Amino acid sequence: MTTFDLAVQQAAERVQCELRAQDDAWGRSGWTRRRFLAGLGMVGVASLGAQLVTTRAAYAADATGTERTLLVIFLRGAADGLHLLVPNNAALGLDYLKSVRADLVPGDADLQALTGGWALNARLKPLYDQLWATGELAFVPALSTQNVSRSHFQAQQYLERGGSDTASSGWLDRVLEKLGPGTTFRAVAQGDRAPMSLAGTAPSLALSSIEDFQFPGWDEIQTASEVAVRQLYRGLAGPLGEDVPNTIAALDTAATIRAGQTNVDYPGGDFGRALKDLAGILKAEVGLQVATVDVGGWDTHTDEVNQLNGQLDDAAAALTTFFDDLGTERRKRVTVAVMTEFGRRVEMNDSGGTDHGHGSVMWLLGGGLTGSGVFGHWEQLTGAALDDGDVPGWNNPFDVLGELVQKRLGAGSLYGVFPGYTPKTVQGGPIATTT
Amino acid sequence: MTTTFWPSATDAIKHAQRTAVAPLTWNPIDHLLSRFAFGPTAGARAYLREHGVSAWYRLQVAYATTYRGYSAHKTVAAQGPLLTKSPYDVRQWLKDHGNEYGWDAMDQLTEVTLGLQAFSPAQLYETLVDFFSNHLNVPNHNGDVWNTRHAYDRDVIRRHAAGSFTDMLLASARHPAMLIYLNLADSTKTAVNENYGRELLELHTVGLHYSEADVKNAAKLLTGRTIDDNMHYLFDDYIHGTGAVKILGFTHPNSRAEDGEAAGDALLRYLAKHPYTAQNLARKMCVRFVSDRPSSTLVNAVAKAYLTSGTQILPMVVQILRSTEFWESRGRKVRRPAENVIATLRVLGVGVKSWPDALQTLHWITDSMGNCPLDWPAPNGYPDVATAWRSAGTLLNTWEKHLGFAGGWWDDFADVSIDALYGGAPANSGDAILRLTKRLTGTTWSTAHRQVLQTFLNEPASTPMSKSVLRWWDVPLAAVILDSPHHALR
Repeated sequence: MTTFDLAVQQAAERVQCELRAQDDAWGRSGWTRRRFLAGLGMVGVASLGAQLVTTRAAYAADATGTERTLLVIFLRGAADGLHLLVPNNAALGLDYLKSVRADLVPGDADLQALTGGWALNARLKPLYDQLWATGELAFVPALSTQNVSRSHFQAQQYLERGGSDTASSGWLDRVLEKLGPGTTFRAVAQGDRAPMSLAGTAPSLALSSIEDFQFPGWDEIQTASEVAVRQLYRGLAGPLGEDVPNTIAALDTAATIRAGQTNVDYPGGDFGRALKDLAGILKAEVGLQVATVDVGGWDTHTDEVNQLNGQLDDAAAALTTFFDDLGTERRKRVTVAVMTEFGRRVEMNDSGGTDHGHGSVMWLLGGGLTGSGVFGHWEQLTGAALDDGDVPGWNNPFDVLGELVQKRLGAGSLYGVFPGYTPKTVQGGPIATTT
Repeated sequence: MTTTFWPSATDAIKHAQRTAVAPLTWNPIDHLLSRFAFGPTAGARAYLREHGVSAWYRLQVAYATTYRGYSAHKTVAAQGPLLTKSPYDVRQWLKDHGNEYGWDAMDQLTEVTLGLQAFSPAQLYETLVDFFSNHLNVPNHNGDVWNTRHAYDRDVIRRHAAGSFTDMLLASARHPAMLIYLNLADSTKTAVNENYGRELLELHTVGLHYSEADVKNAAKLLTGRTIDDNMHYLFDDYIHGTGAVKILGFTHPNSRAEDGEAAGDALLRYLAKHPYTAQNLARKMCVRFVSDRPSSTLVNAVAKAYLTSGTQILPMVVQILRSTEFWESRGRKVRRPAENVIATLRVLGVGVKSWPDALQTLHWITDSMGNCPLDWPAPNGYPDVATAWRSAGTLLNTWEKHLGFAGGWWDDFADVSIDALYGGAPANSGDAILRLTKRLTGTTWSTAHRQVLQTFLNEPASTPMSKSVLRWWDVPLAAVILDSPHHALR
């Protein structure tokens, strides 16, 4: 086989990987590739070359450069919402807060006033300065549901399954199925492995570095190895039978993304690195619809103020760099939801920290919001108002997530996304716009 | 599939259906070595062929009890001189070397662990150490446990990995590393920290079968377990909270602070023997060693072995080996990234030229895959089912390492001779493929899959070795074989 033959075979394998990925993605939501190609007047393709063209056409048809993207950032370990978004007047419950967690309530000098008595921890002021005035920064406090326990692992799994302890797929996976066809880069999980929210039948890519997203080897060896590996996994059942073709299908696009990456320096460690990769993927306009990032280190049972200061500084630095890097136009198409598994106990423990609680705070940043603000139901915090010592789940996280995927991604009916639950508009909402 | 149990592993093999998940095929020797070892080696395969499964198991139990700790491989053990020291002595040593809070002991622990997984003859022991390190996880490379984590590995996990889970649980509940990590060291009668109490119930013992009141009561009963200025365990009755407690079916008057430690031990013993704990441990063992979805028949049988033996760990292993389900499960697990790398080293027979450098190389390689042993950052240990490890990036990373180890990229490891892996002189290109695939994966590949490799070499099967491209393409061929599902599954 000549080098040219090999290159053609490699291209064909990658094309077949894409077709396979699309079949996987479309089949279950009533689409088939055959139907789609028929719709484009492209039935009966036989030759390799023609297949290449039709796939590219189908592929390009989807990555229009107008996609909207939802980025879900999960703060693992349960971030203390009351320390980030402070109910900072008597009507909201500041007096009670000071009586049970005085050391954890920032003074006015360490706060940025928002609206209606709410104030933002000043460690996040860079986000306020960048996004608040343009209507790109909102918060929803007291988020939970009655089935979210105070176990990290149950709560994370329950939320990521979209409100179920037993569903075999994640809520974002079910959103992708509703969205129909997509590119191989439609769903990206930044990190070493895909989170539960993306588990399921819609293909997604987990990667920790676009820079390293290359098939190993050199020259003909690289090309021939790629072809052989793809063939060895053909027909294999199980996750690897899906992941290997998807990985190979993504190689060309990854090379394009690498070529176009700008050299912006991102602070904030792994968090910054993840956002830098995502900015590169977004700027390459390869049809990214859903992305996830996990950030650990929020389980503050001890010395909370010091622990959170570092975490919040990193988050603020990484996110402001990300939005700057995207630019004011592109970020209108990117909505970021920052969530966590539950909030923490209102009362401080003896270690200068807080134990596991209930209602948490979600942050919303970027495009597609109705405006900056604090949304959702809230009542004055008192001993009697609390749920077993915790902020109650006055607002439902699936209301917020549901509105985002419906309005920003055009997911249509949300039936089945959150099993047994129909999202409604949160108090003070709507939060998101369709435009 | 019906699970049946037989008096011995040998009987179970005889009665099992000779099956495997395609494209893997029935091969009890490689199966055993991919489950209760970190992958087959030429030596281990030969031993099993000659002596059988029962002799292998007896030898492994002898290793596990004779060489507790690190001593089953003296050269690897010598790479961790700090691992034998107390927390106080580690701190002094670090201070004397100009870095009182250095991570040297944690690095040595990771590197010795990787070295033993890859090279120790005590393989069953290493798989159990790995299992219980995850079950009672205290993340290594975490600043708070810089001088205690290695002692936890030595005095809690390795000391009891082939013994009694009750003893291991009791040891963990008074070990500085666990007490610091889950904040029990900071918990007092006036302000109880619930972190340890919750994970004790949810992760270490009964699972999600507890109430919030159980957490609060357990946390209260365990107050007083703390550390002294030298980072050694101390029960301080002054901070122990008294008062009657009820946790699941356990009650205790807990009326005297000075009896608080014994009251806590009584709770731990109760929990270790609880049927929910038996179920929790048995299910996790079966998921680790059999399949992502083990039958309830198998889980129940393993749980029963645990309870009737008074919470001993080895009887659970024996029960698994006595089941037909185990022997019929070849290919039902996907190797986690670090397992894939270690199995690659073992099956290629990669030797070591420089131990410190080689173990550091393994450290950064597994770290780059998010699977560095002992480093999972949450209390629940690394996930153990294939769906939790799906990653395009890690696939590419792993394939690169296959090429790297087959090709001798790292000076600290000895070069691999592919010629030696054929096990004799191949008659031609096709024969070379047949021999190398069987040697590296323990499966005789289908004609179709061998044809993929023949196409990869771009020459007919009949090509004599003297004219074959294998003179240059032997390393890439070995790498592609290791990239295949035949090696990715275990």
